[in-house]
Amino acid sequence: MSRTFKDKLRSKDFLITAEICPPKGTELGEALADAKLIRGFADALNVTDNQRAVMRMSPLAMSKTLLDEGHEVIMQLTCRDRNRLALQSDLLGAYAMGIRNVCVMTGDHTTKGDHPRAKPVYDLDSVQLLGMIKRMKEGYDLAGNKTGHLPDLVVGAVTNTDPLKAGQMMKMRKKVKAGVDFMQTQAVYDITQFEAFMEYADDIDVPVIAGLIPLRSANMALFMNNNIPGIHVPDETIYRMEKAEKPIEEGICICAEAIRELKKMCRGIHIMPVGNHVNTIDILEMAGTGKRNK
Amino acid sequence: MIISSAKPFEEILKLLKDEDDIFIIGCNACAAKLHVGGEPEVTMMQQRLEVNGKNVVGWVIPSAACSVASFDSLVEKNPAIREAKAILVMACGSGVSIIAGVTDIPVYPSNNTESLGGRSQGEVIPRLCAMCGDCTVYYFGGICPKGQCPKQLLNGPCGGSMEGKCEVDTDKDCVWDRICSRLEKMGRQDLMEKVWLAEEIEGQILCRN
Repeated sequence: MSRTFKDKLRSKDFLITAEICPPKGTELGEALADAKLIRGFADALNVTDNQRAVMRMSPLAMSKTLLDEGHEVIMQLTCRDRNRLALQSDLLGAYAMGIRNVCVMTGDHTTKGDHPRAKPVYDLDSVQLLGMIKRMKEGYDLAGNKTGHLPDLVVGAVTNTDPLKAGQMMKMRKKVKAGVDFMQTQAVYDITQFEAFMEYADDIDVPVIAGLIPLRSANMALFMNNNIPGIHVPDETIYRMEKAEKPIEEGICICAEAIRELKKMCRGIHIMPVGNHVNTIDILEMAGTGKRNK
Repeated sequence: MIISSAKPFEEILKLLKDEDDIFIIGCNACAAKLHVGGEPEVTMMQQRLEVNGKNVVGWVIPSAACSVASFDSLVEKNPAIREAKAILVMACGSGVSIIAGVTDIPVYPSNNTESLGGRSQGEVIPRLCAMCGDCTVYYFGGICPKGQCPKQLLNGPCGGSMEGKCEVDTDKDCVWDRICSRLEKMGRQDLMEKVWLAEEIEGQILCRN
């Protein structure tokens, strides 16, 4: 039997996770093809949950489909669309269907997505959700009723990586206290800042998986700096993208260089490309992490 | 203070389209302070309704529309209310509801009720308190995240703020940024470290059946 994501978390492996976005509709073909591109390269696939508050197929349905195709999945779960009843029932459903990894987060506000009139829920925040999952793993629902244990559930959370943001860092520590098995980060471009974050978080005994979004153009970098919270693309990187004759290839190079650096600092990387994974294997091979999993 | 604002006059006229012999009830509490239900606004409303062909039989401004004891107490203040076929209440939703509860005359609101807020140094500040029934605002330096953060986050900021501004309303400072700096100023950063679990866990409600 092949090793699970949980086994790999406990090993010394450098982990590779990658993002798969469920379809806006019922056709699964494109998402499954995207997952197939990186089969054997990624240790687990994060399945997003109405990412950026844009309505898409349920991550539970997408995760189960990927599982049936033989992929290991990390189902993302936000606090935006579900109250504590719905969060628990989705977690029980996911576990019963064989999903063993989840990653929880607050979730972008409904007003930022394609249904701005939707009622934002936020019945629990991400720290409270982690606390609830801890209790569920012990065999109880939030009300204290017996529900059966979820012993193998691996639970992750997300964090920003600017060590100077006191509020963000305090919240990251609360997540660790509430119980997490791994942390995935917002996209990292500023390696110096990430190194400072890892030094800051040196006392935290949780594997950190650094997020990466391969750049496609200088404009994309500028857009992210101005519009995506927690992302900082340094000026010299933007300059490289501006000068590049083939910006997509340059973005692949920059990403691969980042992986080589990050390999020395943290436990893994999480690739979240804009669009699909058509360049992901090139990036991994260029970074020397392209070996196929057994 | 209950924060309410005046409906557009055209909307009020539409509400009262089939009504006449109107009695106006203001409110000398929050609505008066916010200039949407005090004497100047009530007399202005009377004039505007009359200009638009409505008969206004009278008006009264109780000390608080939400504490009107009975229809008789309104009659005592202005007996003209007996002739009314419709009542326009210039108060918050509570005031409208209390007055609708003491009479069978149809009651119409002139205001939209928004939140529990306040007014300080001439500025109206909405959404200060979520009225959750379990006040913990002292843990947050007097800035309630349940009332003021669009995600009601108790354990710290979301990842959505940019340059200290709120993800939802970029004109506003992130509530958690404000809480952090307030607690720092107070020398009580320790309060930020409290982990807020779900009420069921906080209260140790565990029935173990």
